[in-house]
Amino acid sequence: MASHSVLNVSNLTKYYGDFKALDSVSLEVDKGCVFGYLGPNGAGKTTTIRIMLGLLKPNQGEVQIAGANPSKDPVHALQLVGYASELPTLQTFFTAEQLLDFMGRMFGLPMQTRRERTEQLLDLVGLKEWGKKKIGNYSKGMVQRLSVALALINDPMVLIMDEPTIGMDPEGTAHFRSLFTNLSKKGKTIFISSHLLDEVQRICTHVGMINKGKIVFTGPIEQMLEAFTQQWVVEAELEKVTEKILSSLKALEFVNDVKVDGNKLSIELKEKKDVRGEISSEIFEQKGVLLSLNLRKITLEDAYLQALKGGQ
Amino acid sequence: MDALGRVAVIAGYEWRRALAKKKILALIILAIAFQTLIMVGMRQLFVGGFLTNEASPLIWITGVLEGGLFVQLIAIIVGGGSMSEEYEHGTADILLSKPIKRVEYMSGKFLGGFSLLAMVEALITFVGVTLSLGFFGAQSGLQFAPIMFLAIVYSSLIFFCLSFMFSEVFRGTTLAILLAFAILIASSVISPILTFLYGISARAIPTWAATNFPSLVMSELVTASSVLPAGDLGALAQASLIIAVYAIVFTLIATYRLLKSDVTKKTT
Repeated sequence: MASHSVLNVSNLTKYYGDFKALDSVSLEVDKGCVFGYLGPNGAGKTTTIRIMLGLLKPNQGEVQIAGANPSKDPVHALQLVGYASELPTLQTFFTAEQLLDFMGRMFGLPMQTRRERTEQLLDLVGLKEWGKKKIGNYSKGMVQRLSVALALINDPMVLIMDEPTIGMDPEGTAHFRSLFTNLSKKGKTIFISSHLLDEVQRICTHVGMINKGKIVFTGPIEQMLEAFTQQWVVEAELEKVTEKILSSLKALEFVNDVKVDGNKLSIELKEKKDVRGEISSEIFEQKGVLLSLNLRKITLEDAYLQALKGGQ
Repeated sequence: MDALGRVAVIAGYEWRRALAKKKILALIILAIAFQTLIMVGMRQLFVGGFLTNEASPLIWITGVLEGGLFVQLIAIIVGGGSMSEEYEHGTADILLSKPIKRVEYMSGKFLGGFSLLAMVEALITFVGVTLSLGFFGAQSGLQFAPIMFLAIVYSSLIFFCLSFMFSEVFRGTTLAILLAFAILIASSVISPILTFLYGISARAIPTWAATNFPSLVMSELVTASSVLPAGDLGALAQASLIIAVYAIVFTLIATYRLLKSDVTKKTT
């Protein structure tokens, strides 16, 4: 176990009746890392998070947060953790100010600190004007924002977020994306479970991928892109696609396949190599008029789908 | 923050949560209205000569005891929603993902709910005494009112703990309240029959202790009264023990369930 890792999940196995929800799941998250936890619905993401928080008891394995086990010693382990759940349901009889104050009390914060943080956090999540209104009157997006504020009340070392931007408008999503980036710059460790691959690719430094209860990948995001991407693709737009151009491109030794969509070509390469020069020369030779030519950057989605395929 | 501090935070939370429920406030209002109605009825009996002058200084006992019947219902409703509503609304996740041990969380819930119940009973006792003073003039034995209040609070432990246990075991408020209420009714109905058939051994069913303990305490305190039966120390000790045993057993079952099982996700 590396000494700088703040969140350690080792060999977690969890059954719901006969169903094996987690199968020897192990993860290690370093301090200051923004870790994206990916996987399809029912893969075991929320189960992993709920075990991390001591809400579920694993049949095997354990979790350590900064050296403390949340199942056995929640007082020490969870003192350092902020948690925002997926589609949270908050106590509707409280106002946002009252709920933040109550959560601050649960962390043993003194009154002055609770007041200051309540004010700062409501401002940070854009709910300053709503602080004195009952939560029962909030929209889904506002509850989600408040849930993030609640997760930050104790100035946590580790922030665990289960689908944190679900239900938020694009502006809110962008706001929270920059908030998470800023928090990570301050040395906070952020663990995000999300279906939004684009979002994960933008803010995460590391990813873990789970499918059918098993970890299929864990490591730096670049490593995942590299590991699960079989081929590179060059996308070309021509004035007109002719049979001659097509056959000549297919005949190139580094081309695996060419797909046509109107006047656009998707050229799959055999190797991970930038061959745009060779392709454009070939098109010119065949009297084609090239409008654009791009080496498509590999997205997390490509790697994710590839990883899912590999894991099955 | 130490363990006691964490328990106190949850107990305070439980007060706010329970008071936010309109049905508890409605029951308190109903209890006070019922007490007032009883007092008005007794006043009519007194004016009509059906009640003697000797009885009138002890009317406050009736007022407090009648209100105490509602405390059993309030106990069932407060206890029955205490744990389960957090699962039903999904808020148990939020609370139990904070730095608190499950046993501290449950203790806070229990103490919060039970202390709220005690406050309700204090209010009912106060209203009962005030009404009797208003309708019947000076009352005697009022120095026993605090003991009477404590006796009713103690007697409510059985049904509070029973519905609290159901609340945690089944994690459904309606089921917990209905089951506890059904046991209260069934036990009240069969209690006289079993007492007739089996005598003292029938006292083990929950309603005997819950409903008789306050009046047994009062009969010990006011033995000179012509309204109450003569004191029975043996029965009083038995009722006291039965309440304690039921409360401990129900609470232990609820604790075992919480400690040994997963925190279920939002169920409604």
